[in-house]
Amino acid sequence: MDRRGFVRLCTGSAAALAAGILPTRAADFADFPKVRLTDAKGAPLKASALSSGEAYVFYYPYRSVPCFLINLGKRSTARTELTADWGSYSWPGGAGPQKNVVAYVAVCSHQLSYPDKDSTVIHYSASATELSGKPGMIICCAHASVFDPAAGGKRLHGEATEPLASIRLEYAPEDDALYASGLEGAQLVERFFKVYKRDLLEEYGAGVYNEPVRDTAAAILLSEYTKSVNSC
Amino acid sequence: MNDRVNRRDFLKLGGATVAGSAAALAGVATNAAAATATVNVKAALPKAKGPRLVVVGGGTSGLTIAKYAKKEYPKFDVVLVEKRDMYASCFSSNLWYTNLVNLEFLADHSFLDAARNNDYIHFNATVTGLDRDSRTVVTSEGEINYDFLVIAPGISYDYGRIGVTDPETITTLRTAYPGGFISTTEHVTIRRKILEMESGVFVQTVPSGNYRCLPGPYERSCMIASHIKKNKLKAKVLVLDANPDITIKKEGFHAAFNELYKGILEYKNSSGVTGVDLEKKILKTEFDSYPFDDAAIYPGVRAATLIEYLGLADPKSPQKEALISQLKYNVIGDERVYVTGDSRPHPYSKSANTANTEGKYVAKVLAARAQGKDISWYSPRTVCYSMVNADPAEAISVDAGYILNKEGTAVAGFSPDTKLFENRDVARGKATFEWARGMYRELFEA
Repeated sequence: MDRRGFVRLCTGSAAALAAGILPTRAADFADFPKVRLTDAKGAPLKASALSSGEAYVFYYPYRSVPCFLINLGKRSTARTELTADWGSYSWPGGAGPQKNVVAYVAVCSHQLSYPDKDSTVIHYSASATELSGKPGMIICCAHASVFDPAAGGKRLHGEATEPLASIRLEYAPEDDALYASGLEGAQLVERFFKVYKRDLLEEYGAGVYNEPVRDTAAAILLSEYTKSVNSC
Repeated sequence: MNDRVNRRDFLKLGGATVAGSAAALAGVATNAAAATATVNVKAALPKAKGPRLVVVGGGTSGLTIAKYAKKEYPKFDVVLVEKRDMYASCFSSNLWYTNLVNLEFLADHSFLDAARNNDYIHFNATVTGLDRDSRTVVTSEGEINYDFLVIAPGISYDYGRIGVTDPETITTLRTAYPGGFISTTEHVTIRRKILEMESGVFVQTVPSGNYRCLPGPYERSCMIASHIKKNKLKAKVLVLDANPDITIKKEGFHAAFNELYKGILEYKNSSGVTGVDLEKKILKTEFDSYPFDDAAIYPGVRAATLIEYLGLADPKSPQKEALISQLKYNVIGDERVYVTGDSRPHPYSKSANTANTEGKYVAKVLAARAQGKDISWYSPRTVCYSMVNADPAEAISVDAGYILNKEGTAVAGFSPDTKLFENRDVARGKATFEWARGMYRELFEA
């Protein structure tokens, strides 16, 4: 993992954070192997053909870390400045022909709920829900948190205090291809690995759960990935 | 489907609120009444490396405050004092009764790991006294000096509220027909009763007042009824509710009672227990008598008796809750000592999510005050799931906030963004488990 992506909070940094001075960072987004997004069968995904009705799930930057790939449809995106407990960074906006395709680590920044094959409490809802009040939000029903995928995964409501960790996407217009190439929010992935270690070791095995993804990553619709999507 | 919880529902909980505020103006909790036994045996703890925050109670409130006070102000030297030797949550325990979760789900969480993950000291002892003049907490393992003290000891039962005052009857009630809202051993017993059930009437009582876990008794009744239905037992659940109606998520619970458990669960409102005949196994209400075969008798709730023993109870509080600032939680007249969690007098729902979100706020208050500052009040949040069907697992939920009165001096009601989700479904059932898993991660992980 690129060390530029890491911000280690030591006592000094925490004090600086508290004083309103943020730690200096060389760059936003840590680089990871550039990976082409494909469908379940391995055929390259076309950005202009992505469904905007629900999110896709793909693993990145490690084999056990689920991410959402979302075509925001009519919602537009813009570069957004975000402040997280790991530092300040700039989210570049969406990718794709309309710059409205985005990706985030599908792990709630509050208490790490994520989609598994059986069910998920965290999901993207293209239409407004009781909780979100507006269309196009990522919602975690466990403790009622709402995040805005058009604004870098910024937290809008609920018990989460930090934004979602974001994935840097790159678009190749010549073949309408999407690539994942970076992560902002390494701290969250570290927490994920620590908290779920027993489960991850059981499901993937040592050395596999935290192996970087290379070459391609298959993205499948959330409703196909899991049996039950919670709505709230 | 959205249902506003109305002000009348809310104020039913808050009998103590007005009394608490008035008492707050009337006087301060005195130190003289505190049980003290300063025997000069120091607790075997390292010397404090910064201002020492002692947190008494390793339930949801205490675990949250120990973690977050340290996060908010790393200079704090935090010590968590907990009397239990191991942890098991009261939240989600109803789900264990019908094996929707196992005991590991509730109990595979280590105080030791929580402390190490969150950079505080865990100390296994029972608090037996408090001397606020010398800022000393006396425990069964020695004295601890504090700079700041949080006491979060939870609740105790008040059998007087169901017309029972003799120690003989109280002892039988709490051992043979436990309420199941305090200790894990009660849950073990109630679960055994359910799994061994063959026939007869099982009574679940619901107390009046601001009792711990408003939906808990109704959820448990649903779990028992679901078990009876699944196993085709010749048995019935009788819910004797002291309140005029179901106290929370009432549409969702009524729907479950009527649609899922007709002929199995009978709900009786305004049927508070006023007496018990243990020999004949009869529960008496104001107008009726109800024979029972087995029961979980949940009497009234009061703040943990420790609050009273330490001289911190509000004499005017009907539930003997602490005499503390409504907005800042400190003992009136003493900004070094705080009471949080279910021993609080506020009309908040006594629940894990409330204690957790409140705890994060109190952690900020402590951090600010340790640095000579202060912060403005903001509301805790009650996100709460109730399983109304076990087969399949379906749940309803609420997401509630709170607001202050016009003067900004006391909690007065639910916030306008409070939402009820009362159409039971499987997805919400799954969210019920995830809510709990998230709570364990919150309390025990970094």
